[in-house]
Amino acid sequence: MAKQIYDVVVIGTGAGGGMAIKTLCEAGLKVCALNSGRQLNPGEDFRNHRMPWEMKYRGFGDPKTHPPSQPGFVDTEYVTGAWELEVTYTTAPGTKWMWPRCSAVGGKTNFWGRSSARFGEIDFRAASLDGYDMDWPVTYDEVSPYYTRVEKMIGVASTVQNRPSNPDGSYLPPFNFRCFDMILQKGAEKAGVPYLPDRIAQLTVAHEGHPACHFCGDCTSGCEVGAFFSTPWFLLPKAKATGNLELRTNALARSILVDENGQAAGVAYVDRSTRHEREVYGRAIVVAASCVETARILLNSKSRHWPTGIANSSAQVGRNLCDHLYGTSASGYLPQLVGQPSFPDNVGDNSISWMPRWQNLKDPHEEKFIRGYSVYPDGGCFEFPSYHDQIEGFGSSFKKEMKRKYPSTVSFTVQAPTLRSDSNYVEIDPQVKDSHGIPVPRIHFQWGENELKMWEHSQQVCAEVLRSAGGVLEDAGDEPEIPGYSLHETGTCRMGNDPKKFVTNRFGQTHDVANLYICDASVFLNCTDKSTTLSILAFALHTSEYITQQFRQGEH
Amino acid sequence: MAGQGVQRREVLRMLAMAGGVATFPGFSKWSIACGHTGRAVTRIKPATYQPIFFTAPEYALVEQLTDIIIPTDDTPGAREAGVSEFIDVMASRDPDLRRNLRSGLMWLNSHSESLHSKQFLRLSPDQQIALLEPLAYEKKSRAGEEDGRKFFDRIREYTIMGFYTSKVGLTELDFPGLKFYSSSPSCPHQDDPEHLHLPPPQS
Repeated sequence: MAKQIYDVVVIGTGAGGGMAIKTLCEAGLKVCALNSGRQLNPGEDFRNHRMPWEMKYRGFGDPKTHPPSQPGFVDTEYVTGAWELEVTYTTAPGTKWMWPRCSAVGGKTNFWGRSSARFGEIDFRAASLDGYDMDWPVTYDEVSPYYTRVEKMIGVASTVQNRPSNPDGSYLPPFNFRCFDMILQKGAEKAGVPYLPDRIAQLTVAHEGHPACHFCGDCTSGCEVGAFFSTPWFLLPKAKATGNLELRTNALARSILVDENGQAAGVAYVDRSTRHEREVYGRAIVVAASCVETARILLNSKSRHWPTGIANSSAQVGRNLCDHLYGTSASGYLPQLVGQPSFPDNVGDNSISWMPRWQNLKDPHEEKFIRGYSVYPDGGCFEFPSYHDQIEGFGSSFKKEMKRKYPSTVSFTVQAPTLRSDSNYVEIDPQVKDSHGIPVPRIHFQWGENELKMWEHSQQVCAEVLRSAGGVLEDAGDEPEIPGYSLHETGTCRMGNDPKKFVTNRFGQTHDVANLYICDASVFLNCTDKSTTLSILAFALHTSEYITQQFRQGEH
Repeated sequence: MAGQGVQRREVLRMLAMAGGVATFPGFSKWSIACGHTGRAVTRIKPATYQPIFFTAPEYALVEQLTDIIIPTDDTPGAREAGVSEFIDVMASRDPDLRRNLRSGLMWLNSHSESLHSKQFLRLSPDQQIALLEPLAYEKKSRAGEEDGRKFFDRIREYTIMGFYTSKVGLTELDFPGLKFYSSSPSCPHQDDPEHLHLPPPQS
């Protein structure tokens, strides 16, 4: 039997992979998609509509199997078997890194935070403005039409805000402000800080054949009606409908195969259900495995042509790892709401409002740090009253105080970008292999001075916003979360015009290997203060159309 | 909008499919402790729960402690919510929690013996509360009771976890989520953005 050669093999089905798969299939190309985990069935696997008492361990997960090193949202009883626990990684001495990965079809888009702000010219030209690092190889005007098309595909709820750091797009009606938003907005006004509706990929009205949100408030456990963007709800069905897609699940990519000229010829992978080694061949390969995983695959693809890993003649694959510093910079409560009736304040789960970057806008060196961060306020009647630590004692008085305080608590989460640094990178661990014999990535990462200054700054400002709103500050946030927690890694295969300094060109095509493309946040120069998914989608659309064009021109 | 109704029905159908309530063997109270008032709950006579981890005396002590921490008063408390069952289940799956609770319960009884020459459950309600207060309130804390304070923190934490994830507990809070809203719920006090003129709070 002649070996089958697909037009394109895509590794990964998350935001970048999903967009590539859909775009390429619709262009008439035959696509084989590899996904390292299983297919989820929303009706069965998403238990977000269950009350905690309907689950054996009340949603906390089985203490015997729940991984203590992972954040609370990984493998709770709301979704089981979606997060990667088997394929391991190591950290260099002194590095703390938390790396929750969703290996189910759709990847992290199944459970993401949905905040969807565009990057702006202030981000793409940040280096020209403040002198640090290098500019992106694209301008905002070039990317803007792709953002517009992506926003139409996925549906983003927000308002036009005319903020210098946040170009506006086309939006569905915004989420309404909750009681605590109204109060904090007044406080923010007094403190001179913007407080506005976030950009959130959640359907406040029915959109493009997808139902409107029903505001149950448990989005990060997965949505079983598909009222916010995820690739299994929005993109993969469209790809499937073309008849051009073959999706292989439990297919863990090991390395990129090359032909006699060192061009990409296919992908070697492990079928995790049988543990058999497999190969699949394509005229072009798209790697969209997420930032660290993509670097692992490239670095593990060694051959006589590519002795340090495929497409790595610049020695930049795995370097420049950036992440968002996350942390609760302030939390407390609003006495105005103590003892008031409960209100559906947790409707969107998070990200209904935001305090978009307000620092270093007029002058890039206005603050003690360069660039800027954003803040996401949150609060109200959550499913679990985690403020119990703030109320001492026991008995009827404790119980009453718990109830009185229920509608009143608020907190502020900071999202601050790290700057690229030579000391933050991914390499292949020379000793350790995972249970499939694949050498694992080793992560080197420390917060830098700039982002820690942003963290301190955010603590002061958020405390001031809370106090100006008449609120009581209870916790100023001791430390940020450990790196990796945000799931916003970027930078391991940066794009740029100079093949000596960058892994891919501005189209996400690797400089070294013309038929090898990257479609995830690893091509980003840095992570900016905005969330990554919308931009992954926009850049992946850009890259996928470029691939299509290359096929039409007979290049692949 | 014409299309909207169809979509809503479709959403409701999917919600119904996903919302199957599981029942678990071995739990006598979780699925039935759902009354809004104490009276409704006490009418139900549950089967006796057989602890998986705790011995019978330990379990009785755990149940009493959870009842003191979140008592039955004008609303149901930890006892009606079956919190001690939850703690037993969690402990049965968690070696660290098992060790901490078992040694803590022993500490409590020996502490009670040294103060009153009686085990904790044999003390009067006032004596029980007087013994726990130094463990629970910083101002009342006493030197030499550090182990007891740690234990009380732990059992209080698990009581809170068990209670506020039960139907009784979320009814107590009036948890408004996991419902179907036709539009994004909005602050009802638009004319009072600073919320300075709300009706008087519940006491």
